Amino acid sequence: MPDTSTGVVVIGGGSTGAGVLRDLTLRGIEAVLVEKGDLASGTTGRSHGLLHSGGRYCVNDEQAAIECVEEGRILRRIARSTVEDTGGYFVSVTEEDHEWEPRFVEGCRRTGITCERLSLDEARRREPALSRQVRTVFWVPEDGHLDPFYLVVGNVESARRRGARVMTHTEVIGFLRDGDRLTGVRIKDSKTNEEASIACQSVINATGAWSGLVARLLGVEVKVVPVKGTMVVLSRRLAHAAINRCHKPGDGDIVVPGLSVSILGTTSAKVAHPETLPIEWDEVRRMIEEGAMMLDGVTTARAMRAYAGVRPLYDLGAEAEGREMSRNFAVIDHQVRDGITGFTSIVGGKVTTYRLMAERVVDVAARHLGVRTPCTTAEVPLNDREEPLDQLRHRPSLLGVPKPHGDEPPLQPLLCECELVRPQDVAPWLKDPAVRDLEDVRRRTRSGMGPCQAAICSYRLAARLVSDRGLDGASATRAMADFLETRWRGVRHVFWGSQLRNMQVTTGLHMELYNVDRELMLQHSPPPLAGEGQGGGRGAEPAEVGAQR
Amino acid sequence: MITEEFEPTTDTVEEEASVEACTKCTACNTVCPVARSTDIFRGPKALGPDMERFRSPQEAAVTPGLDLCSGCKLCEVTCPSQVSIQEYIRRAQNQGAREKGRSLRDWVLGRTRLLGRLGSMTAPLANFGNSNPLFRVLMERFVGIHRRRPLPKYQWLTFERWFKRHPRPVKSRRKVAYFYGCWVNYNDRRLGERAVAILERNGIEVVVPHQQCCGIPAVVNSNMDLARRYGQQNVRHLTPVAQEMDIVASSTSCGLMLKHDYGHLLDIPGSERLGAKTYDIMEYLWMLHEAGELDTDFQTVPMRLLYHAPCHLKSHGIGYPAMRLLRLIPGVKLEEVDEGCCGISGTFGVKVEKYDLSMKIGRRLFDAVKAAGSDYVLADCETCRMQVEHGAGATSAHPLEILAKAYGHG
Repeated sequence: MPDTSTGVVVIGGGSTGAGVLRDLTLRGIEAVLVEKGDLASGTTGRSHGLLHSGGRYCVNDEQAAIECVEEGRILRRIARSTVEDTGGYFVSVTEEDHEWEPRFVEGCRRTGITCERLSLDEARRREPALSRQVRTVFWVPEDGHLDPFYLVVGNVESARRRGARVMTHTEVIGFLRDGDRLTGVRIKDSKTNEEASIACQSVINATGAWSGLVARLLGVEVKVVPVKGTMVVLSRRLAHAAINRCHKPGDGDIVVPGLSVSILGTTSAKVAHPETLPIEWDEVRRMIEEGAMMLDGVTTARAMRAYAGVRPLYDLGAEAEGREMSRNFAVIDHQVRDGITGFTSIVGGKVTTYRLMAERVVDVAARHLGVRTPCTTAEVPLNDREEPLDQLRHRPSLLGVPKPHGDEPPLQPLLCECELVRPQDVAPWLKDPAVRDLEDVRRRTRSGMGPCQAAICSYRLAARLVSDRGLDGASATRAMADFLETRWRGVRHVFWGSQLRNMQVTTGLHMELYNVDRELMLQHSPPPLAGEGQGGGRGAEPAEVGAQR
Repeated sequence: MITEEFEPTTDTVEEEASVEACTKCTACNTVCPVARSTDIFRGPKALGPDMERFRSPQEAAVTPGLDLCSGCKLCEVTCPSQVSIQEYIRRAQNQGAREKGRSLRDWVLGRTRLLGRLGSMTAPLANFGNSNPLFRVLMERFVGIHRRRPLPKYQWLTFERWFKRHPRPVKSRRKVAYFYGCWVNYNDRRLGERAVAILERNGIEVVVPHQQCCGIPAVVNSNMDLARRYGQQNVRHLTPVAQEMDIVASSTSCGLMLKHDYGHLLDIPGSERLGAKTYDIMEYLWMLHEAGELDTDFQTVPMRLLYHAPCHLKSHGIGYPAMRLLRLIPGVKLEEVDEGCCGISGTFGVKVEKYDLSMKIGRRLFDAVKAAGSDYVLADCETCRMQVEHGAGATSAHPLEILAKAYGHG
């Protein structure tokens, strides 16, 4: 890996880092993004994917609500293809919820959130699955689904087209300093362990829950509190819209329609390290019980997997003077606070407001670089090229079937039948050097995210690694086994009913028919890589590493 | 109302939503005769459980190609998880047709009884037209019925009218109600006569209650509402009868509708009681034999016979009672042609755009039949018999015909 140089190094490939990268390139600043795992493999990819209308925060956190309102509207303009306009319902179930209603209505009014009370009959006509326990329903049209993978990839691709570079599976292991001035970063490829340096004028730390760990490399303190949230994925959409409990935000009170699935979320518990995210059976059960209070069919639908993400909550106590922005996220200018020139951190926040966060932190970094170009990310659409950034949504209708007596060519085979992924959806990513393993392919295409959890598509993808990437059979098989292993981590939390039976089929297929025994493989060829991607699945990892979405 | 605490067990899911039970094992795709014969059909897994995830009450018919499913139900027979694959496809087909409208042809083909009534009233004329090449070209052009598909002959004297004049036996041990179906009534009265003769020979009085088309032609022509109406009429007429006696059907698919699909596919309330008392006629006769009540005083029938098991018979889940019965007859040399679906699937192979596919599906069967050479190819289902005659040039018959021969009727 050769040494290089650039203007700004962005650390972190989540929504914030991707947003920062794009913001920089739109202002004409040369930039490189360094991410120790894959894009959207940390907090962003493990979010529930709710594009907040702000309704959830309008009572307790007015500032956050207002930001959600504004950013939601901007995202619908600039990132059209990553947002599904599902709308949302806030439903009351208990007496306590009922008492919350006037405060909710008042909060919506104050923060400018569109909110309309619906009769129960009308609500049930629109959403037949609404539980009989629901007493009051508010319709909030600006709730939506934001596809986190696509959002990050969309931002990064847009920046790459303008010359930005992206280094995934590359960890920052140290900083280069000239006195109080940062002059570059030391990086290590977490697959090959090669090390190199990137010389730069400025570094933006956009690592969210990992910010404290990165800042510690420089000997400064950033107090983030990693807070775990557990989510359960049901195998199909129970409701068209996002369903929220109309009460003080708590555990298990959201059901998000995520393209082809429903996501029940979420819990909230402090954890010691952002990569230690154990999922407890009790959490899974609570998600399902709480979800069932709002929607019928939650208990009978197939729970497909569970995953946990980590919120990067920002500890405000000690940081008052370095804080430039509101309560929910903060830009830390380390030149002002710690006297280190060329280092800026962005902490807190949420996926919905990623663009605003990026704008604020780049404002600070650009000022130090002497760049006066204003931010344009609120105006320039993400998808600024000809072909649409199409995600799954419209695929069923795209899979046209030729007429039997015509001359049309036969059907294209599907790689992933559950999520309708075609070979042409995967092919370009296999050419991308930033895509290192099949998990990376999954994040960009949804392969393996359906009910069978990669039982079938894993071996088709492995074959593509051979044909399109020139891997040998053993390496491709190993990649397939690793892919199945990361899927398995999430599935094991919901082992009952159909998913248990499905996994028996998977086990029969891969262990007995294909003889893909990962343990045996590990014995014969120990993992060549010591590096531990965040949440990625390699080698003998501790069992409690959290499952991916 | 308090939700019970969620306590997952191994059978939490299946009862409520069988689409969730699909383990993507793909067994259904491997038995699907359509998927095997064409590469433009994604197969039952894709169009059934896979696509079902993307369907909602608001948005149903998202996939083109649904109409290529012929409705043979082999996928459901094969599925190790009891997923109602066919039902998902049918419902989506139906909703698609409701949104887009049905063609005149599909409207007509769904109404076998209306067709039969017209056809038998004008029998000589209808039969002339149906076999006239010029008329068939026009029919293909304007209706969409393939010109090479032989159409069944209509008969002037319907089974209903024949039975009214049929003398009742003097004494009988028990009674059974006969669901003859449109085929026997308008096209093949002789088969009905045989059924009555065989049952009476065994001391059973045959009752013919008032009945409507079973509804399967409407189902396969994407008109489930019509099928449900027919089904409701049948349930109304036949349920009181079923309280007193068993019901037998000589058509495989009619029997399957009464037994199973009224309840499962069409959600007709109260149809379970009717279903529980309905039997395929060969199944019923075999039950008589097992009870020691079947007259096995057979004449020798020196014939080489091939038996083709209709797909819908496999759905009954009763094995092949016809084969077991016919093997009781001295002289009969009976073999099964185990070559899968014949391809016609009721009205599927009649349609201009599906005729070629239907013949392609049946090719393996035709080849085997031609190679074997036999006096008759036997099949319980009338359209299977039409297809085997057309595709393999063989003579075909319902197994009842052989039984009748053994009893000395013709």
